Amino acid sequence: MCGIVGYIGERQAQPILLNCLQKLEYRGYDSCGIAVSQSNIQVYKDIIRIKEMEKALPKIEGMAGVGHTRWATHGGPSKANAHPHCDCTGKIAVVHNGVITNYHKLRQQLVSEGHNFSSQTDSEVIPHLVEKYFDGDLEKAIYLALRDVEGSYAIIILAAGEHRLIAARKDSPLIIGIGDRENFIASDVPAVLDYTSRVIYLEDGDTAVIAKDNIKVKSNGTGVDRKEHKILWSVEDAQKAGYEHFMLKEIHEQPKVIRDTLSEYISAGAPAANLMTPGDTLEDWLILACGTSYHAALIGKYIIEELVRIPVRVELASEFNYWGQTSAKTRAIVITQSGETADAIRAIKRLKEKGCQLITITNVVDSTASRLTDQVVYTRAGLEISVPATKSFMAQLIALYWLVLPYARIDNRRKDSLITELRQLPGKVQQVLDNEAVIAEYGRELSKYENAFFIGRGINFPLSLEGALKLKEISYIHAEGYAAGELKHGPFALLSGDTPVIAIAAQDNTYEAMLTNIKEVKARQSPVMALIVEGDDVGRDLADWAIAVPEVHPIFSPLINVVALQLLAYYTAKHRGCPIDFPRNLAKSVTVE
Amino acid sequence: MGQVMKQAVILAAGEGQRLRPFTVNRPKVMLSIADKPILQYVVESLAENGIRNIVLVVGYKKEQVLDYMGSGEKFGVDITYVTQAKQLGTAHALAQAKGVIEKEFLVLPGDNLINAATIARFVAVNPAALLVKRVNNPARYGVVTMDRGSLRGIVEKPEAAQNNMVSTGICSFTTEIFDFIEPLLDIPDMINNMIDKGYYIETKETDGTWLDVVYPWDILSLNDAVLSQIQASSGGTIEAGVSLKGQVSVGKDTIIRSNTYIVGPAVIGEGCDIGPNVCIMPATSIGDNTVISSFTTVENSVIGNDVNIGPGCIIQDSVIDKGCVIKGHFTACGGQSDVKTNGEFSQANVGAILGEGCHLGSIVAAQPGVIVGNYCQVQPLKIISGLLPDRSLVF
Repeated sequence: MCGIVGYIGERQAQPILLNCLQKLEYRGYDSCGIAVSQSNIQVYKDIIRIKEMEKALPKIEGMAGVGHTRWATHGGPSKANAHPHCDCTGKIAVVHNGVITNYHKLRQQLVSEGHNFSSQTDSEVIPHLVEKYFDGDLEKAIYLALRDVEGSYAIIILAAGEHRLIAARKDSPLIIGIGDRENFIASDVPAVLDYTSRVIYLEDGDTAVIAKDNIKVKSNGTGVDRKEHKILWSVEDAQKAGYEHFMLKEIHEQPKVIRDTLSEYISAGAPAANLMTPGDTLEDWLILACGTSYHAALIGKYIIEELVRIPVRVELASEFNYWGQTSAKTRAIVITQSGETADAIRAIKRLKEKGCQLITITNVVDSTASRLTDQVVYTRAGLEISVPATKSFMAQLIALYWLVLPYARIDNRRKDSLITELRQLPGKVQQVLDNEAVIAEYGRELSKYENAFFIGRGINFPLSLEGALKLKEISYIHAEGYAAGELKHGPFALLSGDTPVIAIAAQDNTYEAMLTNIKEVKARQSPVMALIVEGDDVGRDLADWAIAVPEVHPIFSPLINVVALQLLAYYTAKHRGCPIDFPRNLAKSVTVE
Repeated sequence: MGQVMKQAVILAAGEGQRLRPFTVNRPKVMLSIADKPILQYVVESLAENGIRNIVLVVGYKKEQVLDYMGSGEKFGVDITYVTQAKQLGTAHALAQAKGVIEKEFLVLPGDNLINAATIARFVAVNPAALLVKRVNNPARYGVVTMDRGSLRGIVEKPEAAQNNMVSTGICSFTTEIFDFIEPLLDIPDMINNMIDKGYYIETKETDGTWLDVVYPWDILSLNDAVLSQIQASSGGTIEAGVSLKGQVSVGKDTIIRSNTYIVGPAVIGEGCDIGPNVCIMPATSIGDNTVISSFTTVENSVIGNDVNIGPGCIIQDSVIDKGCVIKGHFTACGGQSDVKTNGEFSQANVGAILGEGCHLGSIVAAQPGVIVGNYCQVQPLKIISGLLPDRSLVF
């Protein structure tokens, strides 16, 4: 998936487009390009980062333009495949985020009609379709072109000689930033925050005609008024402020995230959402998510099963969309940080069709996922720029605890003491952060290896998956998470002195078993790094490297442990010289399947 | 009087060893007074005087500073961070900023609490200059000798103070001073060297707020001084039957439950749950996300974030750091005592000093002047006194 921007106004478009694109780089960065229009259109694109393009570009004059930063899906990264794409005349330039599923058929048709293609992308069919239908009325041509297209798109079209941009949205996000005699279009709000905090969110099926002082939106052909929003978070939120990487900054924000989120939930008084009503005839509980959110979903399962004592299923949204069983008697929780994850959105639509009761947990207000569900629980992690998810995961866990606690089948005393423990969490997370120097040293040790295993049991089993994910995402070490009991059913064969094992030895009913697992691993000569609770001398002596974390009620231990694992991954990656915030081949919000 | 300075360098790298246990996990500049770190008072004083370009020299536990100050946008300033990797004196700290300094600049210590009025007339003084102030206890500070407005020398913590005029540590310089910086030097020594070489350094006197915190119990007197200026405000829920007298500030999402009696000046942070039937007496500051249960009295104390105080406690003249969990009937009354910190004894009038993350069982009694380290655990029915190192267990 990619980031697209557009500008029309009274200032020079080039520097503005580049600045906006820079803010969207987290969406993809293998290549980029801009097109600026004066009397004709000039396009400049290449397989480089935006900063390098800024230096290489000659000055292109023009007060309207579009830009694109790419994460390749159809057609590898190359100069020809980079956007913007033009038609045969070079008078129409298009930037596109999404996937055109019937592009092959459309391309064949257009080629047979005499059109010349210069790339292998699906996106290139769009300018040629517009060219095909153009007979003087640009809006009509675009309408007819989009009718032929199947798939997802957020597009901005720049045409030579026209004093307006035309944008359209289906399934991929697109917003308009309103300025003073100038307007901005972008895939996401951070792109425009330097210029305005007034934003319109386009919805599926919308087309918008944007002039410098006028915006007209049509929904499926009919004129419509889209509400203007004021964005409350600031450019500040998108700056590193003294930290070397966004990821480290976001890890350090976690105590505040917990405190702010809890504060808001507690003061709201009411339960976060309606998880169950008396007399419910629900047969099935389902949590769906992708990536790190999937790990939060797994922890959610443990929380619900432990506190509410009903069985819960957890599915990967991408798999569920091809096979999953569901019915109207399903209560489903979908977790998506961005609210735009394609697999999650598809799952939501499917669940709605079947008549399921849906709750969405998301971090982005007014995201597509939130607008599709009746019950939304917003996490208050703030803007997360770094691709590897850290504080958003923490916030999702807090949301899950808060969602479930009102329905917990435990006595009031226990419920009260759990809430008291929750309030203590910011301080305990800060304690783990204060211990950073020790973890940094272990990161240096771990950075020497090419493989690693993470093992955990019970509510910390999903943590072992998350720890492995973070490590592989940013340090490129091949790491696998396993339920500790599973290791000897196969993966043991991989253990040697070259495969360190990171074991989460939580102080709960799995503790003794974990100690046994650690001994078994050590017998295979693998170095062991153990996450232990302070005061656990047995664990400390067994491990080669011990990371001690403060004690907390076992049901909250994932929140404390994950911070140690995030820091471990960060420092390991740092010692290996990895970029960290924007890992190779990854993008922040996966809006393609 | 010249043009207003455009840039200021704030030295925020120091540890503040004598302020343990509070400085084990935070630098001295991040000590909280009336719910704001000392550093924030310095930054806001500069912003109010029109100085927005700020260089922060950080070092010890710098993440605490980065997390709180961020880019400075929240405080209306633009912050550039410079790191002093090893604490080798305040002159060395200043040297770290060389790469980002413009021609003229102010230097301020980040750990002295000031307000805008303190530096209002100093911000337009031509460099080089030093801001000085008369105090009651000059032997604690750098005593200055002057000759008709020109600085003759600074003597740090003299045995017998010549007069009661001391250096505030707030100076204005040009980039010329970088020639005088040597490793392991502190700024007063550097200044003395400059004077020896014939340099002219002007002195300006202020009678504005300038407060230093040296020992943990100093936090109480600073808290008192700052709170006397606050304005009442309320962002939370105040239930029926609550009495608020004087200047009381209640933060967002905080609940004050029935029959709670708060006499200002007092500041209560965000997301707290106070009461029912709690008494808060002047001058008290309470942080964010803190719970105080019924029938507890808190008087002239500073309580941090995320603290949980059980029912029926008596807390006077005490400082309790964040994350402490204190069960019912904890008693910490104020009183005179000899307190040992960092190897030296001092006379102090204080209740209990608790580091962060302590867990106290029910019915614990604290002798006046007890200093409890970070993460200590005390079993019920214990009497605690003296100095408890970090992670002590009392059972």
